[in-house]
Amino acid sequence: MKGLLEYTEGNTFIHRMNPLVKLLLALCVCAAAFASDSLAFLAALLAIDLALGAAGGVFGKALRLLAGLLKAGLLLFVLQLLFFREGRPLFLFVTDEGALTAAKLALRFIAACMPLALMLGLTRTGDLTNALVKTAHVPYKYAFTLSAAIRFIPLFMSEMEGVMEAQASRGVDFDGGPLKKIRLALPLCVPLLMISVRKIDGSAVAAEARGFNLRGRASGYKDYPLGTADLPAAALCAALVALGIIT
Amino acid sequence: MISVKDLTFVYEGARKAALSGVSMEIRQGGFVGVIGPSGAGKTTLLSCMNGIIPHHFKGDYYGSVKICGKDTFDCSLTELSLVAGTVFQDVDGMLINATVEDEVLYGLENFGLPKAEIAARLEEVLEEVGIAGLRRRSISTLSGGQKQKVAIAAVLALRPQILLLDEPTGELDPASSRLVFSLLKRLNRERGITVVAVEQKIMLLSEFASELAVMSEGRLEFFGPVREVLRHSEELEKIGVNCPRVVALSRELEKRGLTAGTLCVSVDEAEAEVRRVLEG
Repeated sequence: MKGLLEYTEGNTFIHRMNPLVKLLLALCVCAAAFASDSLAFLAALLAIDLALGAAGGVFGKALRLLAGLLKAGLLLFVLQLLFFREGRPLFLFVTDEGALTAAKLALRFIAACMPLALMLGLTRTGDLTNALVKTAHVPYKYAFTLSAAIRFIPLFMSEMEGVMEAQASRGVDFDGGPLKKIRLALPLCVPLLMISVRKIDGSAVAAEARGFNLRGRASGYKDYPLGTADLPAAALCAALVALGIIT
Repeated sequence: MISVKDLTFVYEGARKAALSGVSMEIRQGGFVGVIGPSGAGKTTLLSCMNGIIPHHFKGDYYGSVKICGKDTFDCSLTELSLVAGTVFQDVDGMLINATVEDEVLYGLENFGLPKAEIAARLEEVLEEVGIAGLRRRSISTLSGGQKQKVAIAAVLALRPQILLLDEPTGELDPASSRLVFSLLKRLNRERGITVVAVEQKIMLLSEFASELAVMSEGRLEFFGPVREVLRHSEELEKIGVNCPRVVALSRELEKRGLTAGTLCVSVDEAEAEVRRVLEG
């Protein structure tokens, strides 16, 4: 999953779109996935996610993201199969309704997560923060919290890697199945949490030392006017949500 | 410009004072290098100057620190940020934006500067620090040295009257370290910016700083013009601060009666002195 949430430089029409419209589009795909009860529509949403990734020049990244989410989706699918008891039994503990619901749940999960991750990969967090403050009138503190949280994801992942490498260099064997990895990674949560809290604390001080509290709504350097791709994107948002509710 | 009087600070929960009875006056336009072994209190002293102590780190605080006549105890960190810019030791924690351009823009936007001014400063500082080519790069893809340059650029863009730097060349190679210190010296000379730099590389400080502050176990052992402080080379070595080799060379020449006590603090000076001795 490393690097999947980080911004990818580019000059496609998706890169140039208004950050708020991109956020709206991602949220609408997400909402449509939750609203819809049709397997075909959920699969179509997944195709739209991939198409958006391709249009943004990050198709490879979208596929890797899909592969990562499929693993989590598979876990959801199996859990749902285990616990869903309504419908006609197909084999062992699996029922027809259980299989359908599990498939929908897994697809819904993937279709809802992908657009948000893709949006982050195609929008600079600085632009997203500034647009939220300038255009959507979100208080700067909240917008900054969002961007700081996004910014810290890769940092924490590299800290985690650092801690694991340090442990591996002292003989801990991280090779093996996922259960073994989880068992070995659990004790690392405390040092990782300590490092993270210290880093966040340092960042808060650094932000304050560069005038964090002076920031006003009009302070942003860039403006975010609506471009040619923004209106069709907004129309797509409305259409997706409507279709999601109908299906 | 910076006035420190009888400053003692004990971090909350600590038994030993991180700073004890430190007093120093740094004039406007001064370039002070702070050096000392690990745990000597260098970062704590810098944190007292930029107001992080007492506003962020709590503890027992005695004495006073005044920046431009204002006691840091009575000013908020925001007020102090308008006068003093800080480059922190932990650059990863300091860089809070996703790209280089956003990082430099961050402070400029916070300070509410006009757009034309922001654009001009952005271009200028990226060129000055030599990172114009990294402008659109994601910070997570930069090397330690590149990150350090970005951190310096982000603070320089704000054009503070006082620049406080905590080991600004810690992750830089020798050539880049010299480039950073040359830049600091130029800003100090041309714009009159007061510079206080905590640094472990004594050679850099000897060459570029005008005054040297040597700390040990929370105390200010020596403070004065670089040449005067370096005359105490034996005491400095006992503290754990090695003097530049050119200083050892000029002390040796003096001991042998070949020079009349001229202390060389740079390679160029030492070369000229050796030539003079050889030419008789």
